[in-house]
Amino acid sequence: MNALATPYKNHHFTLCLSLLHSMSQLQLNAAEGLINANEEWAQRIIKVNPNFFKDSDTHPPKPKVLWIGCSDSRAPASVITASMPGDIFTHTNIANQFHSFDDNANSVLSCAISEEIDHVVLVGHSICECVQEAIVNAAAAKPADPNNPIERWLTPLSELVRTLDLSGLDESEALDLVTKANINKQVENICNSEPIVTAWADGKRVSVHGWLYDLATGRIRELVVRSLPRP
Amino acid sequence: MSHESTQILLNANEEWAQSVIKDIPDFFTQSATGQSPKVLWIGCSDSRVPESVITASKPGDIFVHRNIANQFHLNDDSALSVLTYAVKVVGVEHVVLVGHTNCGGAAACLKAAEDAAANTGASQPDTPLTRWLSPLIAHVQSLDLSGCSTSEALNKVVETNIIMQVDNICKSEPITTAWANPNSKKVTVHGWVYDLSRGRIDELVCRDAQA
Repeated sequence: MNALATPYKNHHFTLCLSLLHSMSQLQLNAAEGLINANEEWAQRIIKVNPNFFKDSDTHPPKPKVLWIGCSDSRAPASVITASMPGDIFTHTNIANQFHSFDDNANSVLSCAISEEIDHVVLVGHSICECVQEAIVNAAAAKPADPNNPIERWLTPLSELVRTLDLSGLDESEALDLVTKANINKQVENICNSEPIVTAWADGKRVSVHGWLYDLATGRIRELVVRSLPRP
Repeated sequence: MSHESTQILLNANEEWAQSVIKDIPDFFTQSATGQSPKVLWIGCSDSRVPESVITASKPGDIFVHRNIANQFHLNDDSALSVLTYAVKVVGVEHVVLVGHTNCGGAAACLKAAEDAAANTGASQPDTPLTRWLSPLIAHVQSLDLSGCSTSEALNKVVETNIIMQVDNICKSEPITTAWANPNSKKVTVHGWVYDLSRGRIDELVCRDAQA
């Protein structure tokens, strides 16, 4: 883990708040705001460690973790784990999916394995609007609209929902059950993928974790972990 | 096997959550009620470019899609569903396509193009990664890199890749529809490059409905 992480863990959030205040005063648009915030952030890093950026550029770090999560703005991997640049290789999409036929996610996973990461963490989160949408679509027995990319993308998730018994559950209980089933299913998909099957066959010690991030408490909980099968 | 790295992340998450609650006791309960980020970030999976850290953003600020070499392929449902959701459901005002210097994906495409030029007839193995990078490899093959040093060539690939992905985003249905409808919320598409050696983002290009 990057040694610089510790001094920045608690400063990071306070920094966000002070930058937010100064951004609102200048009335920048949101994109200009990000560029300005980046400049201030970079200057603060250099003040503490003048060589941080040059070093990470010429001696690239070797992240140990690949995070496959949701695109939801409320679950930014490096912020919620107080990580620094170089710590976490990251792929995010709608409803934290890993489809066996998806070249996007499979190419990220195969790159990460060849870079010798030790852990793949598949991270779902509570109150996922897209998981909710998949539940509604499954209940309506509505076939996916082939012209709607979101519905096409969520087809496997809607199929998963149809296999679950949600009778007697209220809306939030159903959402919780499907969220967890989704995490477990994506972990299974990752474990059955070519990069992981090959890595384990070669004796590589890479583990696959299923995590749930609770938006209401800010806490991550591990639901499942799968490791190199014993011979 | 040791799960030290993941345990470190879980411990750090616990400390972070506690420090946030100390500063703003209802931050998480409020955040759980919904999201309204103004920006969609489409960037590279590279660990050195965590969008929210390098822009000092907090949860709720940036909707994110990251993949190898910050691609936006018009036939990729992963990126397309993110863009569609971000523009039509969440209502972002800016889509930022962010590449970075010393991109491993761009370097791999440069090498693949050089290998193809040297070994005419030999074909690439058919893997998810080679399929994923094939549009970028084809793009590299169309560039005139004669007289460029290795680092100049890589910079040229990184920057032209950003422009190419911005072009793709501007051709996508969510953006063309938004730009064709004067009643739609305004959305601007930006191409940015993150310089790893300085930690700084520079804007290369910006497009909106008037362009």
